[in-house]
Amino acid sequence: MSNSQEFISVLGAGSWGSCLAHRIAIKGYPVTLWMRREEQAEEIRTTRRNSRYLGDYELHPGITPTTDLKEAAKAKIIVIAVPSKGFRATSRELGDYVKPDQILLSATKGIEPKTYLRMSQILKEETACLKIGVISGPNLALEVMQEHPTATIIASRFDEVVEAGMRIFNANLFRTYGSHDIVGVEMAGALKNVLAIASGMISGLGYGANTRAFLITRGLSELIRLGMHYDIDPMTMSGLAGVGDIFVTCSSEKSRNFRVGKSLGEGNTLEETLKAMNQVAEGVRTAQAAYDLAQKFGETLPIVEATYHILHKGLPLTQAQMLLLGRPMHYEHNPKRIIRDELPPK
Amino acid sequence: MQNKDRERAIVEVVSRIVNRSMEDSQLSTGTPLVQLLNDTIYQEKKRLKSRANSVTTKARNEDRQFWDKIQKALPHANDSKLKELLHDVSKRFVSEVVGNFNPKVYETSVKVLPVGLSLLLNALSPTRIIQNFPKVPSLENNILISGQAETLQRLAQKGTIMMVPTHLSNLDSPVIGWSIYKLGLPPFTYGAGLNLFSNPLLSFFMQNLGAYRVDRRKKAPIYKDILKEYAACCLEYGYHSLFFPGGTRSRSGMLERKLKKGLLGTAAVAYTNNLIRKKHNPKIFIVPCTLNYHLVLEAETLVEDYLKEAGKARYIIEDDEFSDIRRILQFVKGLGTLNSQIHVSLGQAFDPFGNRVDEDGESYDNRGRHIDISRYVMRDGVPTIDNQRDREYTNELSLKIAQEFSAQNMIMVTHLVAHVCFSMLERKNPSMDLYRLLHTGGDITHIMIMEVEQEIDRVMDQLIRLREAGEIRLEPWLAGRNGTQILDRALKFFKTYHTKNALERRGDRIVAGDMNLLYYYRNRLVGYVIDGHKVR
Repeated sequence: MSNSQEFISVLGAGSWGSCLAHRIAIKGYPVTLWMRREEQAEEIRTTRRNSRYLGDYELHPGITPTTDLKEAAKAKIIVIAVPSKGFRATSRELGDYVKPDQILLSATKGIEPKTYLRMSQILKEETACLKIGVISGPNLALEVMQEHPTATIIASRFDEVVEAGMRIFNANLFRTYGSHDIVGVEMAGALKNVLAIASGMISGLGYGANTRAFLITRGLSELIRLGMHYDIDPMTMSGLAGVGDIFVTCSSEKSRNFRVGKSLGEGNTLEETLKAMNQVAEGVRTAQAAYDLAQKFGETLPIVEATYHILHKGLPLTQAQMLLLGRPMHYEHNPKRIIRDELPPK
Repeated sequence: MQNKDRERAIVEVVSRIVNRSMEDSQLSTGTPLVQLLNDTIYQEKKRLKSRANSVTTKARNEDRQFWDKIQKALPHANDSKLKELLHDVSKRFVSEVVGNFNPKVYETSVKVLPVGLSLLLNALSPTRIIQNFPKVPSLENNILISGQAETLQRLAQKGTIMMVPTHLSNLDSPVIGWSIYKLGLPPFTYGAGLNLFSNPLLSFFMQNLGAYRVDRRKKAPIYKDILKEYAACCLEYGYHSLFFPGGTRSRSGMLERKLKKGLLGTAAVAYTNNLIRKKHNPKIFIVPCTLNYHLVLEAETLVEDYLKEAGKARYIIEDDEFSDIRRILQFVKGLGTLNSQIHVSLGQAFDPFGNRVDEDGESYDNRGRHIDISRYVMRDGVPTIDNQRDREYTNELSLKIAQEFSAQNMIMVTHLVAHVCFSMLERKNPSMDLYRLLHTGGDITHIMIMEVEQEIDRVMDQLIRLREAGEIRLEPWLAGRNGTQILDRALKFFKTYHTKNALERRGDRIVAGDMNLLYYYRNRLVGYVIDGHKVR
């Protein structure tokens, strides 16, 4: 009956996609890694290296590289790790081949501009599959390749998807946790990239740990407020996919979004910065979506708004800093309760 | 359900319930059989004690004896005795649900039903009957069916239909019954509340619609499981079925946007069971439809119930306009005079997983690609029931049905004018919250007719745009009419039936005669974006 075969596919051979394929292969599953460029596939096939994204790290021999999407789409479980910009196009192509008994797991973080859809929603629109899940957590690809212990969340409305996802990835050095709050996990994963850029700017400007902690905690409260419009479970934001992921992307030089922010903080323009990187920084696109959503729901999200204006409207950093720090005083968890400042008596 | 299937269904449902309860009792998270039976006895005894009970003394005594017997046997029961008791309890419930169905009546009802309904819906003043005599009055002018009627007829040949209408009034089921007849389809099975069976007028229609009995006073979890399992069985045996997925008549007048998933979920279960048994034509097609009235028979009672303080609203209403035949006749007469039509709008059909289905019963994804839907329920190539998975599928389906309701909802002249006037009164009383406005009628209680007419024209333009985008339907009468004509017709409707007029004309002004009714009718537009804002 079923033509889906007992192997697993990963679509997208960037650093994260390759790393995930590597993890699945370590667990002992045959895994097909799909990419568009034949030279890249050839490199992996002959040298077990994906030099552009993972430098000298050797990929597991259980990985079969391919450029044939139809072939890759026969897998029982398909992990999609293409950049959010090409996510819809790849999903649509995938939709020509996949059947409803297959499981799709999105490893891509982001919100589509204009439609404001999450990646799992795009998969649902572009394929006939409903068994859809996501994987997200404090997972820098390079550190996972180095086997530094970490953990990740597999989230789906379907137990079957959560459990299958956990089984193909779980290992002592890469623990998996399950969740039903797919919306919360995706919102956290996408929005945290905006904070990562802001946090990078703080480093670029030369500020230290106090400032970063200040930014992260106030930023987290913005993310929760926005997420609540989607009925997310606030506990998700304090879990691995929320605080866990924010912590790592907002503090590590290995995070691309962080590096974008840092470069801006050091005085480079966005154009120069992106040109110098040969990888995608999702937070740049997500900042636009997050800003639009805040407007739509009438939420005041100062850090998100400032980051958006710096990235897309050319607002100078110094000015953004003044705007943020000069905001009126209010209670920590009640921004509407504003306290008026008074000059000391002469 | 026909007699041969009836016996089969009773056996089948009892065995499924007993087996599942046994399996469940073995799980660490499950309910032990003793507890399940004790809960059931407790719920049933509580029901029998309650004063608000429409069952006869004889039936109550019989019930009491039965539960006493079970209760007495329970403390000494070993495992096999427990199973036997569970079997007896299930069988009692199932037999009652299935009811005393008379297949002869079922056959002839198809012919009798439309005439009876026709008489009912045509104005029943003696003069009208005599004028029309001996010609049997026709329903053609009263109930208009639009939308995907041909698709429905074809799908009924390709599989089993689950029709899911919006629910405003107890008249809905006879209206659907007639529509089904008109489309040349056999009667649909339908779970009707016991209170409908006790209504002498409707009892007749209920039996003949193929209705089975649902006693909403029975709160035992096992009873609810039995209802679901029986509903699934009906679908599996190929009986087209009717569910109101809103669960009960809309109290507020708002369109159902959140649906009850229990009975909807039987579609996926029935389909999977059909695949397991390799049944010919295993597919289940879900057909949403909306019923659209100018006036709703029970509006006054329903909205009053809606506006009661939280917790005091009644789930079962037995003393509404529907229990008073004079009110029904008044209602029907009023509508007859104004040549009112009931619009039945048939929507897009879906499979149990929320995919669009074409007239050949084939499913397609958003990009128009064909889907082999058996794959949704396959595990390792074998069709398998998985409750958690199927609940998620049913969530998808319920979202699609709610969207289709919204697209098929037909705005009638009464809804439009109620919306316009209510919004204007809200704007004229900006300091009042909803409940105060409804309670006091506002500080400013009138609006100038001229302003109302202009506002109607303006809102109409927006509704036309929504209709062109496929987001809503408009009563055909509205086409090409201006604010003056629209207001005039709505006022005539509001004058005909309700004890107080929702709106009335006083000189060059409009005043609300009954704010609650006005609110009820304007609520049909809640959820649509008008003037850049979602109507709340």
